[in-house]
Formats: sequence, structure tokens, C-alpha cells
Amino acid sequence: MPARNSSVRYGWVAQGLHWAILALLILQVTLGKIAHELPVGLERLVMMSRHKSVGITILALAVIRLAWRWTDSPPASPPMPRWQALVAHLNHWGLYALLFALPITGWLMSSAANRPVSWFGLAQLPNFIAPDARLKEVFEEAHELLVNVLFVLVGLHVAAALKHQFIDRDGLLFRMLPGRRS
Amino acid sequence: MRLGAFALVLALCPAAHAGPRQADQSDGRLEFSAIQAGAKFTGAFTRFRVALDLDPAHPASGRLDVTVEVASIDTQDPERDEILRGPDFFQVEQHPQAVFHAGRFERVGDGWRAPGELTIRGVTRPIPVMFTLAPGAGAPVMKGSASLRRLAFGLGHGEWASTEWVGDEVDIRFELRLQPVG
Repeated sequence: MPARNSSVRYGWVAQGLHWAILALLILQVTLGKIAHELPVGLERLVMMSRHKSVGITILALAVIRLAWRWTDSPPASPPMPRWQALVAHLNHWGLYALLFALPITGWLMSSAANRPVSWFGLAQLPNFIAPDARLKEVFEEAHELLVNVLFVLVGLHVAAALKHQFIDRDGLLFRMLPGRRS
Repeated sequence: MRLGAFALVLALCPAAHAGPRQADQSDGRLEFSAIQAGAKFTGAFTRFRVALDLDPAHPASGRLDVTVEVASIDTQDPERDEILRGPDFFQVEQHPQAVFHAGRFERVGDGWRAPGELTIRGVTRPIPVMFTLAPGAGAPVMKGSASLRRLAFGLGHGEWASTEWVGDEVDIRFELRLQPVG
């Protein structure tokens, strides 16, 4: 499989980033949920710090993914009604936006709470805002709201992919999978 | 001529003894920083008293006394403050104050070293406090630092005794405008 996208299939770079980010998002939502439900204590600190490290990893991959997309055009979409193409387009860019907005609101929330972010204990990230209890609440609300938006957009994305694969039978899913002829 | 030289020496000596001095939270800040989950954060104590009696001509006698109301700990994170005030850390109900006392001073470069004893949570350990005195607008400015290992004072029991997620070393910094006593 070539690194770059062909006219019918994503290359391994785009595919790798797509599936790696999906795996990290599943891990990330799980860590966040566990941490959120734990009582205040060491275990919660540990889970939350892993959540932050994974979040920064997702942010870094999102930067790479956006840069890659800039230089490597996606394969052509199968024929579909204009409104579906538009919704798919908006949904994709909404997902890209969330890959930035979720880590950044989490990062700002950490700074506002005076719990600076470290990436796996290897590097400390700067605080872009000073500690502020009110702003912490604002970014916490935003972070939680955006997670729910993520669930909706990912649900729509998966439903659309399955519809193309099993109802339209246009082979759209193969574009994001290795090894199969479309 | 001799008198003139004497006056010049006096004028050039900013640390000339001006009697005992004092400061509290309205005269500056007493801060500390520590590592939590790989990231350095800063907190402060918002109620404390400092008394300094340092005659540069007689540094072997004098005193530096600091009394800190440990319940005033403020890391701008209510959850963390609650844990720090609690039984695993400062145990503020049984040990409401941390106390430092030094009875002599040593010249170190442009500044001073106060070898003294710090008592936290009923545990007393020798620690040196380093500081400089600079003439400020109206009041001399005392600026300095110290560092300690929290576990040596029993700060961190149970799950918090591990240094994997909360570092042992704590750095203290202060900057105070010293007021005349009385």
C-alpha cells in the first residue's frame, strides 16, 4: 500500500492516522470517564494525568493529519446526492475541529485549575492562562459538551460508512482499509 | 578626611542594621512549588508572620522567625487544598502552624544563609534558608528560597507516600517588604 492516497484508496499514512486516532479516542473517552467517576485521590490523579497525556498525543496526531491532508487529496467519493456530500463534508470538518477543540479545552481547563499538563512525565506543557476557578468551570463545561458533540458526529460518520457499505454497496469503506480491491 | 571616608562607607552599606523588622502576608508572598504527575505547580500560604533581626556587623547573633498558618495553603485547586490540609498531609487541626527559627546568619556572596530548624506536623528538621536584602522603596526587600523533602516531615501518608506521582522535593520562595517593628 503506498504512503500517499490513490484515486480509489487512502494511502497508509492517512489510514494509519485515521485508525490510530480512533483507537486513542476510545482509550481517551474510557480514561476520562473512569477518572471522572473516581473519588478525589491518587488513583484519580493517575487516570487524569494519563488522560491528559493521551489527549496531547491526539492533538499532535491531529496536527500531522491536517498537514498531511493539506498535501495529499483524498480519493474521489462515490456518487451520492448533493445533500449527502455536503453533510459528509461538514461532518468530516466537524470531526477535525473536535480533534483540536477537545484537547485544547482540556489543556486550558488544566491550566485554569493550576494542574499543568505533562506529556507522560517527559515534558511539561506551558500554561496559556493563569489559574482561575471561573474559567476552569467554563472550559470544563465546554469539554464535556464537545465530547457529546463528538459522540453524535462519530455516530453519524459510522452510520454513513455502514450505509454506503451495506445498503449502497459502493465499496466506500474499502477506501479506508488495507489490502482489498475496491 | 577620615570622617568623610567613614560617611562614605556608611552610605555604601545598604544592609546597615536598622533594628528588627517584620512582615506578614500583606507585605509579600510565600510560595512553594512541587511536581504533581510530572508537572510543576505553584501554591502559596496566605497567612504567615516573619520576624527578622539581622545586624550585618554581628551575624552570629540575631534571629529569623517564621510562623505559617498551614490551613491557609492555597494551590488554586480546592480539591488539592482539601487533601493537603487533611490527615495525609498537614493535618491542620492537630498541627495548625509550621515554624522556622534561626538564631544566626552566615554571609554567602551578596546574601545571607540562615541555618535553622523547620517544624512541620510536629517534625523538626534542620534546613537552611537563603536570602538577600535589598533596599526597596520605603522598606527593605527580603527575597529568598529554601528547599525541603516533604516526606521527611511526614507530608504524604498512605497512597501519597509514593513519590512516583507527587515529587518529594518542594521548593519555597518568598519576597517580602520588611516593616519596622512597632
